[in-house]
Amino acid sequence: MKKTISLIFVLLLVMAILVTGCSKPEPKQEVPKEEPKEGAKTPEKKVKVGFIYVGPIGDGGWTYAHNEGRKYIEEKLGVETIFKESVPENQESEKVLNDMIDQGANVIFTTSFGFMDYTEKVAKQHPDVIFLHCSGYKKLDNMSNYFGRMYEPRYLSGIVAGLKTKSDTIGYVAAYEIPEVIRGINAFTLGVRSVNPDAVVKVKWTHTWYDPAKEKEAAKALLAEGADVIAQHQDTPGPQQAAEEKGVWSIGYNTDMKEMAPKAYMTAPIWNWGPYYEKQVKAVMDGTWKSESYWGSMKDGVVELAPLTDVAPPEAKEAVEKAKADIIAGKQKIFVGPLKDQTGAVKVADGVVMTDEELLSMDWFVEGVEGKIK
Amino acid sequence: MNNVKYISMVNITKTFGKVIANKNINLSVNKGEIHALLGENGAGKSTLMNMLSGIYIPDSGSIFIEGEEVKFSSPKDSIQAGIGMIHQHFKLVEVLTAQENIILGQKTGFFLNKKAIREKIEEVQRKFQLEVDLDKKVYEMSVGEKQNLEILKVLFRGAKILILDEPTAVLTPQETAKLFIIMRKMKEEGCAVIFISHKMNEVMEISDKITVLRKGETVKTVDKEKTNPQELTELMVGYPVDLSIKRLEKQGRKAVLRVRNLRVENEEGIEVLKGLNFDLRAGEILSIAGIAGSGQKELCEAIAGLYPVKSGEILFKGENLVGKNPKEIIAKGVSMSFIPEDRLGMGLVAAMDIVDNILLKQYQKQKGFLVNRKPATSKAKEIIKKLDIQTPGIYHPIRDLSGGNIQKVLLGRELDTNPELLITAYPVRGLDINTCHKIYDLLNEEKAKGVAILYIAEDLDSLIGLSDRIMVLSNGEITGIVEARKATKEQIGLMMLGEKINETEGAYVV
Amino acid sequence: MLYKFVKRSEITQRKSIEIRTVAILLALLVSALFILILDLNPLEVYLAMIKGAFGSSYRIKQTIINTIPLVITSLGIAIAFKMKFWNIGAEGQIMMGAFAASFFALRFPELPPFLLLPLMMVAGIIGGGLWAVIPAFFKAQWETNETIVTLMMNYIALKWVTYLQYGPWRDQKALGFPKIPNFSENAILPNVFGVHIGWIFALVLIVLTYIFMNHSKLGFEIAVLGESDNTARYAGINIKKTIVIALLISGGLSGLTGVIQASAVSNTLNVEISGGIGYTAIITTWLGSLSAPLILLVSILFAALIQGGSFIQTAFGIPEAAALILEGMILFFVLGSEFFVKYKLVKNVVYQPVAGKEEV
Repeated sequence: MKKTISLIFVLLLVMAILVTGCSKPEPKQEVPKEEPKEGAKTPEKKVKVGFIYVGPIGDGGWTYAHNEGRKYIEEKLGVETIFKESVPENQESEKVLNDMIDQGANVIFTTSFGFMDYTEKVAKQHPDVIFLHCSGYKKLDNMSNYFGRMYEPRYLSGIVAGLKTKSDTIGYVAAYEIPEVIRGINAFTLGVRSVNPDAVVKVKWTHTWYDPAKEKEAAKALLAEGADVIAQHQDTPGPQQAAEEKGVWSIGYNTDMKEMAPKAYMTAPIWNWGPYYEKQVKAVMDGTWKSESYWGSMKDGVVELAPLTDVAPPEAKEAVEKAKADIIAGKQKIFVGPLKDQTGAVKVADGVVMTDEELLSMDWFVEGVEGKIK
Repeated sequence: MNNVKYISMVNITKTFGKVIANKNINLSVNKGEIHALLGENGAGKSTLMNMLSGIYIPDSGSIFIEGEEVKFSSPKDSIQAGIGMIHQHFKLVEVLTAQENIILGQKTGFFLNKKAIREKIEEVQRKFQLEVDLDKKVYEMSVGEKQNLEILKVLFRGAKILILDEPTAVLTPQETAKLFIIMRKMKEEGCAVIFISHKMNEVMEISDKITVLRKGETVKTVDKEKTNPQELTELMVGYPVDLSIKRLEKQGRKAVLRVRNLRVENEEGIEVLKGLNFDLRAGEILSIAGIAGSGQKELCEAIAGLYPVKSGEILFKGENLVGKNPKEIIAKGVSMSFIPEDRLGMGLVAAMDIVDNILLKQYQKQKGFLVNRKPATSKAKEIIKKLDIQTPGIYHPIRDLSGGNIQKVLLGRELDTNPELLITAYPVRGLDINTCHKIYDLLNEEKAKGVAILYIAEDLDSLIGLSDRIMVLSNGEITGIVEARKATKEQIGLMMLGEKINETEGAYVV
Repeated sequence: MLYKFVKRSEITQRKSIEIRTVAILLALLVSALFILILDLNPLEVYLAMIKGAFGSSYRIKQTIINTIPLVITSLGIAIAFKMKFWNIGAEGQIMMGAFAASFFALRFPELPPFLLLPLMMVAGIIGGGLWAVIPAFFKAQWETNETIVTLMMNYIALKWVTYLQYGPWRDQKALGFPKIPNFSENAILPNVFGVHIGWIFALVLIVLTYIFMNHSKLGFEIAVLGESDNTARYAGINIKKTIVIALLISGGLSGLTGVIQASAVSNTLNVEISGGIGYTAIITTWLGSLSAPLILLVSILFAALIQGGSFIQTAFGIPEAAALILEGMILFFVLGSEFFVKYKLVKNVVYQPVAGKEEV
């Protein structure tokens, strides 16, 4: 017993020594980041922007893309940013939010769906702090939700995949059975079938956003079932590597994944958060910020299709360019009737365009998808 | 040759925390000498020998082997210097044969030359007259055989100095006699033997020189020829003592305990008590003699409700105890204490202090959810005073006390429960003579109060001296119950080996 | 081998303090090197860790919130460990406690809090307790190895909650996101002085556990049993019963942790409800020498280490992995010092006769 008392005593002592020992030069040693880098523009509100990430920055995917956005605003606006990686989508995220507010953050981006309820809870407790939650649907006076119409570039990537496949079987590694993912799969499948009506898209669920090994395994299983193009709604390049190893082709996601699978990778629907983040933070600084539900499109530049590589089929470039131009121009809607579900029944009548509400709560697969929801 | 100082330990001091175990101890042993180390429990004998065998490192002082100073940092070093220690607890692998145990841990090449090794072992056996069946598995061996194997092991490894830590404590008289033959043989071969014992008669029989330790210091080294047990005891204790065991010639008539056809099986289904019948009267000391493992422990535990009974009756004041749980049996006034070979483990909690150990037999009688330590605290003080227990304080873990003091705590506690039936197994195991006598006195006191006492011990002298009747167990059977006043050691020794004695004159079998 | 480890026969108070001081200094030193590699100033980082854990009332509250589950779980583990029953299953017991409480929270969301909260707590304590009683019963009856059984049962509990989260208890309103619905306001433990009421439970339990372990009959029996089965048997202690009751209490405390974490912290049940507390608490229990008051101290220091480690991640932009390495290194040295308290390094002298000094 005495042993431990002394242990604790020593621990405290060492800490005490450290504290007192450091107290003198403290003004100089103060964490430099607490000073804004450019303190010049006086009328603007001083902001400190926090980012909560669901995975590590090094994932080369989802979180990486958000972090690029963070770096973008640091550079463009010179604001101070803080971030925390690998925050679990549970009560821990609430604590991290509070930690960040404690550390002076007054604008916080929470970049995963699972953070929504916690963001809302903390937002209610801190009306003076501005929250921007990615991929959810809840909105408060001080909480926006924002997302991108990723289904647009996914549709384009479907065209590339549909042209490339020889087995007419495309594998799709997907995280969770939520509307965002389902929508993406549907758009992708519609893209595939627009150029290759016989092709099917097989779906495997991983129930994780970030698990390189599990994602890779799912891709391998799909390859074993005859797929020769792998697409993904996952945050790591695991599925890309599976395709690379098998010597077939792949469509990435989130960021340009060319480096991870140079012989397989054709293109990827990717995020480009920088401009949007800049606009939002700037608005906060100017005092013009208002909460909104933002769903950015290719037109806005939030989402786009990464450049096609040499692996992509040569005829794809033209097809993609044309579809892209039509989508941006509003000439082509992706979810427009007639749309059949997996059973072949008509779900959306001819000529009817699905509303955003319908898209945001989509819980059925279009014809051509092989897989089950739940 | 006999004058070469083989080992000498000079000004050895060793402390454990605040306790000084050895203080400036000096010990010299010559070649071809059997040197007895005598002292009360806690006098520092084992500590001193553990330093010689490299288990402890002395705080100060020097050890010389054949005139050269050595420093041991582990038992390995000591073995290399030719020292072999036979501990009370054998360090043998049960599932291996004798030969395998000997070879174990030896530096050999990749391939064992079994034949050559065997020849070498047999040579050692011949030289020292060590009877060990090399192909027998250790678990099949008796205690005596195991001990011989231990000795053979260290001799095979080249030991020239043999330390025997209370070797006779676990032996029958016959086995002890054999051990002495081996020791004499070693002496003839020029080895030095250090012999730790409490038994005065053995010390007088076998040793050449005797060094007496008291409270961690050397008192005196004497020649056996020039001393006597009385003087040795006085040197050991520090004041004159009476060595005779008193038998209280008083006996009640009422049978407190009647055991009828008691049969007990062990976990393997082997019968370990084969139909025992005996009575124990109030105010009587009935002793049980027998080779270790003859069923003593099972009998004690069966009475105390700790061992399942197969059939038969255990009648305590007319009430059958079979089927009752230990708590109920304790509550009825049956006290059972068993001192195992490691002295702890049964009855006492080494890591706890005296108060908590006393509490162990009190708390169940207390009411409510909480324990009250007050009565145990005052009882602890009382027992320490009454039994002269050496301890830094009542709140000191008993693990740090010497074996004798630990046993006094146990016995003091058991007597304190005012039992009507006191079962005490090996209460003087490993105790020095003075403490033994204190314990005999305590038992006699209880006897005078009319307590029925079932007393189990190894030392036949004390059995004969103390008890009223002696019941001999052999292999789970009673080979005879004899009147202690008329019994002889030889007769009991034979019964212990299984020879059934017809009712001799004066002895009565119930 | 030139050096070898030898078990210390005795160690003085001073020596053990020395060893631990050196260990902590070494930990800080080695960690400092690591921080230098990250291109940061070690002193700043250490200072920030302390500031992060105690620097503001918010941070102190967070440290307390981290401390609460550690303390309560450690108390439970201590009771089992006192009996030398190596209960590695606190993680699972927390889960099952949280599960049992969640059952009532989700089933009766409209019950008034003064009914619902006690109901949840009782359910949680029983849930965790029963989960611990299973290995206890096996041990008492068939002498199974409790370390393995409790450890394996953690996985069963984890997978059970995973099943609920992805299956029957899944929130239908979460648009397919696999989560269990949030508890109603009635099922959430209240705050007292800005921190949920768990801190009061923890303090009360420290006192109760202290009394239980040191002054109760059952606590005494547990201690005796922990030291020696045989002694316990000879003293007439019912061993099987004692094991089962002790583990019911041990698991019950972990179960209560589960209730608190589910109700007050996450407002729902999920697979990360325990988040490794069940394992961390083993370390705090051990460092706290199974003593209730010491467990409190050690748990606070641990919580501070975690809170401080989390703080520096955002304050310095240190990657999470690096912060964990830092925490790990500090822990490694502190735990490592325990080894050196018990063992020492000595030069391997192979029987060297020291020349000279002829004996007289």
